[in-house]
Amino acid sequence: MAAAVQEPTTPTFRDIDRSVLRVMEFPGVAYWTWIAFCFSLVGIAAVLWTRQIYEGMAVTGLRQPVMWAIYITDFVFWVGIAHSGTLISAILYLFRTRWRTAVYRAAETMTLFAVATAGLFPMIHLGRPWFLYWLLPYPNERYLQPNFRSPLVWDAFAVSTYLTVSALFLIMGLIPDVANAREQSTGWRKTFYSILSLGWQGTDQQWRHFSMAYLLMAGLATPLVISVHSVVSWDFAMAQLPGWHSTIFAPYFVAGAIFSGVAMVMTLLIPMRKWLKIEDLVTPWHIDSLAKIVLLTSLVVSYSYATESFMVWYSGDKIEQMTFHMRYFGPWGWIFWVMVLCNCVIPLLLFSPRIRVNMKALWIISIFVNIGMWFERFDIVAGSLATNFNPSQWNFYTPSFTEIMITVGSFAWFLGLFSLFAKFLPIVSMTELKEGITFLRQAVKKGTATDA
Amino acid sequence: MGVSMDIIGSFADDQLCAKGIADLRHAAVEDFHVFSPIPSHHIEHAMGKPKSRVRLFVLLGGITGILTALALTIGTTWEWNLGSGGKPMISWPPFIIICFELMILFGGLSAVTSFIVNAGLPAFNSASGYNSRFGEDRFGVVVRCDAADGDRLEKIESILRNAGAEEVLRDAA
Repeated sequence: MAAAVQEPTTPTFRDIDRSVLRVMEFPGVAYWTWIAFCFSLVGIAAVLWTRQIYEGMAVTGLRQPVMWAIYITDFVFWVGIAHSGTLISAILYLFRTRWRTAVYRAAETMTLFAVATAGLFPMIHLGRPWFLYWLLPYPNERYLQPNFRSPLVWDAFAVSTYLTVSALFLIMGLIPDVANAREQSTGWRKTFYSILSLGWQGTDQQWRHFSMAYLLMAGLATPLVISVHSVVSWDFAMAQLPGWHSTIFAPYFVAGAIFSGVAMVMTLLIPMRKWLKIEDLVTPWHIDSLAKIVLLTSLVVSYSYATESFMVWYSGDKIEQMTFHMRYFGPWGWIFWVMVLCNCVIPLLLFSPRIRVNMKALWIISIFVNIGMWFERFDIVAGSLATNFNPSQWNFYTPSFTEIMITVGSFAWFLGLFSLFAKFLPIVSMTELKEGITFLRQAVKKGTATDA
Repeated sequence: MGVSMDIIGSFADDQLCAKGIADLRHAAVEDFHVFSPIPSHHIEHAMGKPKSRVRLFVLLGGITGILTALALTIGTTWEWNLGSGGKPMISWPPFIIICFELMILFGGLSAVTSFIVNAGLPAFNSASGYNSRFGEDRFGVVVRCDAADGDRLEKIESILRNAGAEEVLRDAA
């Protein structure tokens, strides 16, 4: 018999506070060891980046014609990871989806740190990061303004807007929770939370403006999230290169971003709910809902792969067809098939309700999706460049130790920042959980609990 | 009014709290404020206050963003008249993307700034009658009264109790 997913029983407001504030107690040695491990890897990556700046881009594996490879793959991967956070925190907020309350803060935090990680890669990839300001609307030494017809400039605007709006949305949502933590803490923590909460007391005047501002922020973040990955996809689609020049890229990238992002939420939440002892708040019911989104977006992504391939065949464009032939059966063909296995085949297991409540199985599936989506971006970015218009230029790329370690360092940077947040700020929204419980109780009273 | 006094009614539920607010307003009591651990539509409707002005600021922020983007894209094109890719100097489709992004950016910044200003943050002093339980699991209604008007004090206490307040206290304001 298939395992049924039970909705969690409703805890009281005090239970919620106790569970969330317990997570924020001062951590032990294991936690600090993990943080030290993460930031050691970041340190190694920083040293290698410094060496890259000093010695030049020759320390990377970038050679003609593959001048965009792992760094740009990482950029697209991390921007994609960010998207599920906004989906869960803003889009599902507008739809009043009840299960989001327990997981949205973790997802939104992931968004902020993922965009912050993504933002490093254009700088790292530049080689001469001190010219980053050329992307900003400020004339350079030759009084040249940025070219607003270039997708790279659109990207600078889109990603910096996304980082700013995500940070504001997260900080704003934190204010009532941090005020609650302030009331129940002492010492330096009380001072820290007092400053962060801006003296919030939950008066009717404060809530009236908060609710409106939060709703409008969600309304603004919703089209923003769709625009950001569309713009990222146009970094490629606007070029003439076979394998990049495709009109399907924007929706295909947005679906892929949500797919990889929700998988990353699962990768983080499944161990975190156990280690932080928040299993009573983040229940299998919540994880099951996330798994259903992964399944849906996996089907959309699979359909996009099929459409992309069909259009290449149907177009009759020989160069495009050769690029795709090389993508499937060339020296990097294995990357494509690993991607298909991870993104299209393995997620089909999520059709089984029994698997959707098996935390170990879900965690392993989510890791496969992360691997598959990273390979997808690599295949698009580097694979298309390696087999461009002119076969005499074809050349396959091998990543250098510097690039690999900077990529590893980006994961460590992301996980380290996320772990710090999870321990010192409320990783589950107490306010929204309480609001959800109040709504549920009132629905039960009115006899409309099934609709709620 | 001479010496003031606060009457603090504590409720376990937002619907009961909203009923207390409606009853107070029915009795022409208007000088009160409410504490709540969650945003509640019941309380907001009972208070009968106009919709937040944040909406207007977000609209203005969004429009400012679009105008800024137009000034930036068209202005810099005029300043440095360098064609690229055979495209017109004023290329609307790509400029719309910049307009969209800056509309969202300025709209978002306006939302947060106008929320902070309208909500009176940062608040350095506690609002009268505040209790830490109002951030945790209780809803509080704090009514400001004239301490010398005993009849009115009793009437307000009775309204709050009848609406379902668990506890009604007097506190020197």
